[in-house]
Amino acid sequence: MSQSEMDRLVQMINQIAINNISAGDENAVAEMIAGHVQKFWSRRMKQMLGEYTEQGGEELHPAAKLAAEKLLSQAA
Amino acid sequence: MLQHFDPNKDYGTPASLSEKLVTLEIDGVEISVPEGTSVMRAAALADINIPKLCATDNLESFGSCRICAVQIEGRRGTPASCTTPAEAGMKVTTQNEKLAKLRRNIMELYISDHPLDCLTCPANGDCELQDMAGAVGLREVRYGFDGENHLDAPKDTSNPYFTFDASKCIVCSRCVRACSEVQGTFALTIDGRGFDSKVAAGQNEDFLDSECVSCGACVQACPTATLMENSVIEMGQPEHSVVTTCAYCGVGCSFKAEMKGDQVVRMVPYKGGEANHGHSCVKGRFAFGYATHKDRIRAPMIRDSIDQPWKEVSWEEAIGFAARRLKEIQAEHGRESIGGITSSRCTNEETYLVQKLIRAGFGNNNTDTCARVCHSPTGYGLKQTLGESAGTQTFDSVMQSDCVLVIGANPTDAHPVFGSLMRRRLREGASLIVADPRHIDLLDTPHLNDSMHLPLRPGTNVALVNALAHVVVTEGLEDKEFIASRCEGDAYSKWRDFISDERHSPEHMEAVTGVAAADIRQAARTYATAGNAAIYYGLGVTEHSQGSTMVMGIANLALATGNIGREGVGVNPLRGQNNVQGSCDMGSFPHELPGYQHVADPVARGRFEAVWGVEIDHEPGLRIPNMFDAAIAGQFRAMYVQGEDIAQSDPNTQHVEQALRALDCLIVQDIFLNETAKFAHVLLPGSTFLEKNGTFTNAERRINRVRKVMPPIAGKEDWEVTVELSNALGYPMNYSHPSEIMDEIASLTPSFKNVSYEKLEQEGSLQWPCNDEHPVGSPIMHVENFPIGDGKAHFAITEFVATTERSSRRYPLLLTTGRILSQYNVGAQTRRTDNQAWHDEDILEVHPHDAEERGIKDGDWLGISSRAGHTVLRALVSERMQPGVVYTTFHHPHSGANVITTDNSDWATNCPEYKVTAVQVEKVTQPSEWQKNFHDNHERQQSFLKEAAAAAAEAQ
Repeated sequence: MSQSEMDRLVQMINQIAINNISAGDENAVAEMIAGHVQKFWSRRMKQMLGEYTEQGGEELHPAAKLAAEKLLSQAA
Repeated sequence: MLQHFDPNKDYGTPASLSEKLVTLEIDGVEISVPEGTSVMRAAALADINIPKLCATDNLESFGSCRICAVQIEGRRGTPASCTTPAEAGMKVTTQNEKLAKLRRNIMELYISDHPLDCLTCPANGDCELQDMAGAVGLREVRYGFDGENHLDAPKDTSNPYFTFDASKCIVCSRCVRACSEVQGTFALTIDGRGFDSKVAAGQNEDFLDSECVSCGACVQACPTATLMENSVIEMGQPEHSVVTTCAYCGVGCSFKAEMKGDQVVRMVPYKGGEANHGHSCVKGRFAFGYATHKDRIRAPMIRDSIDQPWKEVSWEEAIGFAARRLKEIQAEHGRESIGGITSSRCTNEETYLVQKLIRAGFGNNNTDTCARVCHSPTGYGLKQTLGESAGTQTFDSVMQSDCVLVIGANPTDAHPVFGSLMRRRLREGASLIVADPRHIDLLDTPHLNDSMHLPLRPGTNVALVNALAHVVVTEGLEDKEFIASRCEGDAYSKWRDFISDERHSPEHMEAVTGVAAADIRQAARTYATAGNAAIYYGLGVTEHSQGSTMVMGIANLALATGNIGREGVGVNPLRGQNNVQGSCDMGSFPHELPGYQHVADPVARGRFEAVWGVEIDHEPGLRIPNMFDAAIAGQFRAMYVQGEDIAQSDPNTQHVEQALRALDCLIVQDIFLNETAKFAHVLLPGSTFLEKNGTFTNAERRINRVRKVMPPIAGKEDWEVTVELSNALGYPMNYSHPSEIMDEIASLTPSFKNVSYEKLEQEGSLQWPCNDEHPVGSPIMHVENFPIGDGKAHFAITEFVATTERSSRRYPLLLTTGRILSQYNVGAQTRRTDNQAWHDEDILEVHPHDAEERGIKDGDWLGISSRAGHTVLRALVSERMQPGVVYTTFHHPHSGANVITTDNSDWATNCPEYKVTAVQVEKVTQPSEWQKNFHDNHERQQSFLKEAAAAAAEAQ
């Protein structure tokens, strides 16, 4: 995994979170983000996000982190 | 083609749109015509042709030449048939001795001051004056030719495409009226009076130095050889013509390619074209010479490394080499290690085949298109709100608009033929609101009535549209009935609560947008109360970090005011390139199959799998920027790029170049050695729109035929190359004509179900959806319901989030980019034409205030630095922008405009934020390092090309 590639993915999902912060409560926002990632991201991008989240996902926006955790639980 | 009139015939005056018919008798023939039709047109509709000179049916009648005089029972004198409306019971005589004598006398006067050089005149064979002299039976000129005349009037050859020969002018004013009525530029006038009357450009300037935009309307209107295409002067009259579709912008104008054998003599806008109704711009009308330019790639080429010279090889060897490399890379690095990019410059059929090759032949969904970097937010935003990724109107719809709101678009430069139509409506009295950081030419429309400019700061679109919507909601300007019946209730309630919040008010947003709150309030009221209000937008909306949010904000505004679902209203994305709409429709995006059917939808996927005979991956593939990142990371190793120049058009050039250099195999199919091809291992010659069959879909969803008028210069149409590559990869494709590809598209794409080449021949063009519910297409969308959820439109929450790209002490200015009339996109085509006469370099426009602070004068070399890179451009001091904003175009690769744009992008689609880059500008004395490297690499790659040609010549 390239660091810059991962940085870009974190930046992307955080941007999705920030732009949809008014979509509802934290759970609703996370659902929206997870749906967006599920619909538009490639398999490998989702895998990278999953691995990053499992390692702590430190740079993720809280709503993005919740979304990533939802995606992980769906995949499990 | 089904036509309600013959587009090749000139009926003399425009059609009347009245539904009331009047019946009259002309030369004993009874005919019924719409009220308001001229006697001349009524006669022409009855196949009675009255002589005419100053009349032509795309201009209002003028009544100056008097040669169309007729007699009407019960009326005195000989009225001009062009200016006399047909009336019920009228009895008209068009031919008798008195009229014949009158017409001969008029012609005699005209000819007494006209050169008698018909046999050597370029208009010989296509001259209305000559035709009329014959029609009226002129046999002598009693006045002689010795008196004062205009026979020595000088020629104006300043325009590279046409010549103005004043000695042949009959001062009919058709050119002047065409410039005013059709083009809307008002560059021409009749100067002087009586015998001294003459056509003048600008303030008696050369055509090239005047405001003339070289659209060709005057040349087309001229009944003599006064205004004549230089190509006709050089080559003579064409001998046959083929109707086809322009390959420049998203207007999709129909043209007659007028030919001598397989050589194009001229491109004449086709009156039967529903998008352009016989009008054109400087690109489509004149800039077709690139098709036969010496730089065209005429043979396939391969090389193992980008540091090696090219080797010209046979098609078979090149295709075999490409297929072998792709297979080897997949075998070593996995199925998902390769992908491809389709082009908005190619046909629907070609685009469909490339994404099919990737999904079925490569076995992954790593397909994307250049719409990623322009209108991908349109696809996302309109799908979320209105349910379909497309504009809602026809171009003609603007003629029913009472208010036109233009956001982040520059129609007179980027969509000139539609810009002219819009100007016509504005002259008729529609209100204009322009939201743009830059003062665009539309605001200078002659005879403009009510107009407003909202000069917002770059990056604040969403703040502005939210403020407009806030005014609509809080001042009770909503269309409550429309909302109740056509929009989803819960989403509307949430949105209403959201947008009513004081933080979205114009007063709160004033500090953000830089636009006075009172102006925003006035604009909102004008838009909401006009009656029919239409929004037109361009890349100034989409190419932002909130591009998708802004598209949804626009849809919200239209829905809240009920401005959707009928003529004169709507949400209208002005697509940049000729087939942006089509390339998106054809499944170019990594998550969507043709017809915007998601790859995860098992029903849709199943249909494709059944026809394609393979299993399709249910996960989306990589978008272009993700491909670049993955390439740099070593995960993505090969690309097939058809007709797209990502190295020039995509942002952060150094990053793109790094990604392209990292590829093990880059296959480029293009008509020229473009910037991307300099990083390629396989170069497959492309074919221009003149060399192939297919279809383009324009910004109004209109599917138009592209017809082959000359053989492909390297032997193959683009779709044939994709077929051969697919077959070499082991995924069989078997088509003998693009019509068969369209049949397959129609069988798999619900919105294209009834589209076929046969139907296109019958109807001329079709606007999708074209299916059982809409058998001849859908000019206006969402008339009864929306293709979303339960048929009701969905208001979206549009929170304003400021871009992270902000001005700072280090980068105190904001750069925004755009287009210019004479050049097109990366300029690969227009730079290889005489359009260079207008714009041979990209320049940086700087406000006088910023220029003064830095001691900048016109023509100075300026270094422009951003956090992404540094380049050098020449300065133009201009008040078009507000202080703090600088502007440039990206038509010339050595400019390196995208060296400074960043990889910031739209949150939903990754469409790059070309419109906002924080920069510093300072005077410099030499090119940037990137430009020096660019120059060296350019020279080296050109020498590789020459070496290949020399080796091939030697081998022969």
